Amino acid sequence: MTLLDAFEVECFEEIGRDFYKQITETVLSDHNLTAVVSKLRIFIDPRIPIFVAVGTIRDAGAAVRISDIGSIQVQGDNTIISIRDETYLAQFLTRLYTIFGHDHVDQPDRFTVIISEVPIPENFENIEIVNRADTVLHDLIYAMTVIAPEGFKVRREYYGKRQFFYAASENTLPEHVVEEMVSAQFAEIGEEIV
Amino acid sequence: MILVPITFTGGVYRHDEVIDYIEDLGGYIIQKHEMAQEMVLQAVIPKEDIDRFTAFTKPLAGEVTESPLVGSEIAVVIPSLEIHHLPHSACDIAEYLRTVGAKTNMVGLARGFGKRISQLNDEERDVINEHDLAIYVLGNFETCIEEKFNGLRRGVNVPIILTGAPPLEALKRITDPPAAGYVGNLGRFMHRTRTEADISRLDAVVEETARVLNEIRDEIAHDPLSVSPARLKEVIENGVPEIQEVYSPTPLTVQLTGLRIKLPFDRYHDTIRSLPVEEDVTIGDTAWISPSRMRDYILVQIKPFSETHIVV
Repeated sequence: MTLLDAFEVECFEEIGRDFYKQITETVLSDHNLTAVVSKLRIFIDPRIPIFVAVGTIRDAGAAVRISDIGSIQVQGDNTIISIRDETYLAQFLTRLYTIFGHDHVDQPDRFTVIISEVPIPENFENIEIVNRADTVLHDLIYAMTVIAPEGFKVRREYYGKRQFFYAASENTLPEHVVEEMVSAQFAEIGEEIV
Repeated sequence: MILVPITFTGGVYRHDEVIDYIEDLGGYIIQKHEMAQEMVLQAVIPKEDIDRFTAFTKPLAGEVTESPLVGSEIAVVIPSLEIHHLPHSACDIAEYLRTVGAKTNMVGLARGFGKRISQLNDEERDVINEHDLAIYVLGNFETCIEEKFNGLRRGVNVPIILTGAPPLEALKRITDPPAAGYVGNLGRFMHRTRTEADISRLDAVVEETARVLNEIRDEIAHDPLSVSPARLKEVIENGVPEIQEVYSPTPLTVQLTGLRIKLPFDRYHDTIRSLPVEEDVTIGDTAWISPSRMRDYILVQIKPFSETHIVV
């Protein structure tokens, strides 16, 4: 968790707080989000009950291009792509099917994709497959759903360009109560909600 | 004759002799797992014959261990089996208890989550009550456990082991009336139990479960059962050949005071009721036979001696 600039979990129950700190760390690393989150603060009060998570993200930036997914080799009529990182393989294959059609794209094994009998466009290796910035806030809110206690079904979530918050409870809480809590938590990490 | 639960681990080679020996001693096989070349037998044998049995299995390179959880059926109760919150620590608990011989069933409640909104319905309550013991795997906050536990235990009359993240003393403090056992430092964590520290948490559950089960056994000993559940299992295996065609891992699940038979109640309860255990004594004389709330299974609850004045 060293990648985060600020990370804190607040709860009046010490044991519960430590468990939630550990859960947050596990979930963020399981969802590959540790490098993305800059500041994160979680506030839990089981007496109300409420769970509030507020935070900011870093520039999630980098687009994933074909050259990031695998290496390209041309052998006669065929182009062989050896997959290095299969995280975005599904999206990559879908893109290949759109460009070349199913007839020309084959995946004989897990780490090999063969494009046969079609010319490869110029700048092929620079084609953008996924832009993480589009999905990262979405992923983050999903991760918060995972972290939040079970049964906290009434929730409000928000994500802007850089900030996000997630508030959940099992009761329907008045809007102003939630808003006050969220802005108080943002104030704790030196931010003001946009 | 006091029967004690044991586990025999050894090779497949000459294992039929081991089975014969257990039967000759007057013991019963509860479950038999055959995995490639390896053999795990869960059985009950007379207490005084353990040394003799260990000596018999030594040349076969087998290992005999006492395992108090063998012959018990345990419900692992968890407020929800929600997909967002996988992996649940309860999965590991249920699996770990199986490795030491217990038969565990996970009971994921339909609306058990939350504090104010948690509920236990009649089907869940009845299913839990069909077990020997229930392990409640609750969460991380003392405040929540205190409020919801009494709701989740309403109507449950089997002994309950309460587990959660707060330490043992805190769990004891917040439960009124007290539960049969407690394991602290468990709760909800979002990873599989791999490290030594995690495994020791599971060991604590096994230890507590064994303690509570032994207490139940001592209590049963004051008014012994009319027939041993393991013996009844053998009687049914011999008397109802259809049980051999049931594909469940344990077609006959042995409990501390009864059996769960995985055959349809409507078609088989009369046959089972009239099966003779010994001359003039049928299963119906020694046990209550009722439909189980679990699928259409048959639940056999053995009557105590004080009720029947028979011991077979």
